[in-house]
Amino acid sequence: MAVLSQARALSSRARSQRVAGAGVWATSREAFWIALEALRAHKLRSFLTLLGVVIATTTLIVVMSIVNGMNVYIATKIANLGSNTFVLHQFKWAQGYDEMLKALRRNKPIRMEDYKYLQESLIGYEAISAISQLQPGPQARYQGHSIDEVTLIGVTASHAIIGREKALYGRYISDQDDRRSAHVCFIGQDIVDKLFPMVDPIGKELNVGGHTFNVIGVADKVGSAFGISQDNFVFIPMGAFRNLYMPNLELMVFIKAPDSRHMMELEDEVRVLMRARRHVPYHDDDPFGINASETLMAAWRNLTGSIFAVTIGIVAVFMVVGGIVIMNIMLASVTERTHEIGIRKSLGARRRDIMLQFVIESAVMASVGGIVGVALAILIAWVVRAFFTASVPLSGVLIGVGLSSAVGLFFGIYPANKAAKLQPIEALRMEN
Amino acid sequence: MASQVETSSVLDRQAPPEEVLIRTEELWKTYDMGAAAVQALCGVTFDILRGEYVAIMGPSGSGKSTLMNLVGCLDTPSSGKYWLNARLVSELTDDELAYIRNKEIGFVFQTFNLLARATALHNVELPLIYNGTPSKEREEKASEALNMVELGDRMYHKPSELSGGQRQRVAIARALVNNPSLILADEPTGNLDTATGDEIMNLFDRLHESGNTIVLVTHEHDIAARAHRIIHIRDGKIDRDERIK
Ligand SMILES: Nc1ncnc2c1ncn2[C@@H]1O[C@H](COP(=O)(O)OP(=O)(O)O)[C@@H](O)[C@H]1O
Ligand SMILES: [Mg+2]
Repeated sequence: MAVLSQARALSSRARSQRVAGAGVWATSREAFWIALEALRAHKLRSFLTLLGVVIATTTLIVVMSIVNGMNVYIATKIANLGSNTFVLHQFKWAQGYDEMLKALRRNKPIRMEDYKYLQESLIGYEAISAISQLQPGPQARYQGHSIDEVTLIGVTASHAIIGREKALYGRYISDQDDRRSAHVCFIGQDIVDKLFPMVDPIGKELNVGGHTFNVIGVADKVGSAFGISQDNFVFIPMGAFRNLYMPNLELMVFIKAPDSRHMMELEDEVRVLMRARRHVPYHDDDPFGINASETLMAAWRNLTGSIFAVTIGIVAVFMVVGGIVIMNIMLASVTERTHEIGIRKSLGARRRDIMLQFVIESAVMASVGGIVGVALAILIAWVVRAFFTASVPLSGVLIGVGLSSAVGLFFGIYPANKAAKLQPIEALRMEN
Repeated sequence: MASQVETSSVLDRQAPPEEVLIRTEELWKTYDMGAAAVQALCGVTFDILRGEYVAIMGPSGSGKSTLMNLVGCLDTPSSGKYWLNARLVSELTDDELAYIRNKEIGFVFQTFNLLARATALHNVELPLIYNGTPSKEREEKASEALNMVELGDRMYHKPSELSGGQRQRVAIARALVNNPSLILADEPTGNLDTATGDEIMNLFDRLHESGNTIVLVTHEHDIAARAHRIIHIRDGKIDRDERIK
């Protein structure tokens, strides 16, 4: 008996819920079409109404897309020292300009003796190399052609294993070249394109900053980062580099570990060795920088955080402005349609039915703004991709549309409540 | 179920017996117009039984619409009591009033009060939407009601595409679609020519024959004469209450 009546109570509740659902669905669907119809009927007004939400959504998604694109870009082009590779340098990278100046003043440069010491004392690395770059870059000439500024770098032969510049033809700089301080060079594709457009560069005498070098190899194309070509380089043996340009070498030392687990150990070991060598007291900071791809990624993530903080501020302002405009339009709509509200109430609409109708209408209106914003953002991302990088994330699209409809919902509450509170007869009396 | 228990507490000593659909007692309505207050109703008391066909007559400004709006639960009296279906209306909640307007009363207005944007069918569906009738059943019932007022072939027309008589028939279909126990009509033929008005009145006659309780407001004798009882109102008071059939 008890079970039976309980079952009946349950089924009757289920029925009443289904019935309520039908009403909610019908009201929502009607509100949806009314909102679209209102937008269609007053195109200019709708455009102005939704401008705030559109700008907010577009801004959000464009920023997300560019950052998203940049993530990949930074990871592959900027923060890519090669796998399991880290760099010992005079200072830690990507810390900000002031920090860098301070480190330059305080820290001694990495010298050839440091490199030799590490090469001998460090164990378990796959390769260790040193490079040094001439600043500013010198001019390069071959017969009638010239390039005003090239990236001139002295390298040890071991950099062939670590560096991204791989020989396409000819050969890399060898240990023997280094020992003999041979006047030979290994050049990038840009040098080939500009100085040797019609001839095979191998064996030719290239003039760099007043000294000539025999071209022994050409590198495969590396590509460009932020629109700056990475192929405008001339590598020469470290020995020659020291003799000709920089008697007191300042180096970057590249160390490649056999795998990622050993990389951490090697970093620690380099740190211990270098601190001992520099006689650093226990509590002092490193007077050098150990830089990995991760250092650069961390700096980028840091920057990303600031970009998003600013973006969220801008988006919030536009969303609130957009929301207030929508609220005003909805208030006007409630006034315009008071008679309609009266009719609906006279037919048995409850407060919550009217409330639902206007809130949905407001949310639909704002969502249309969101969708327009998304479409615009996709268009902008597409244009940006032509000369930079951008990739629209699905999460951005969802957040954009979700956020704008939430704004519509929220700012629709006040007008909807105003409509819902109207007394039937007073509303009916308003003729329009 | 729970509300059934509550309503018994609403039952008053003066609560009317089962067969009385409407009971009013000393209904007053004052419109506060700032400086001057307008006394639209000055103590109106009457009973209307189930199945009656009543006309309320009186000159313009005598308080007929005010009275109808009170009876239709669209407005509240300044003082006095009103029972509908043995329930004291002043003690009902907002939602219960909405339920009554939806299920128990079908209101026909002089100015039709149709949604201009919506088709005839959608206008008739509205009361069904507000009691959560599923869409298929809703469409069936609404088209059935439109067929009953002979507008089966005009279901997808908007009010602007219909004649005055047709609009009023849509409004009547809308009033009937939930099978209300009471049909109220405030000068339903007021905006129609005589011939069309007659058609509409024939419709009310038929509705009454099929058992509906009808209260209609008019200031035309011909129309009042179709009812079984005429309540004459003057200056917000009942002047005369005559049974004519
Ligand atoms: N909303 C209102 N505000 C002020 N006065 C009103 C209002 N509605 C009706 N009245 C006044 O109440 C009296 C009765 O009006 P009403 O009930 O509309 O009469 P009827 O329908 O019989 O013509 C009239 O004097 C009218 O001016
Ligand atoms: Mg009137």
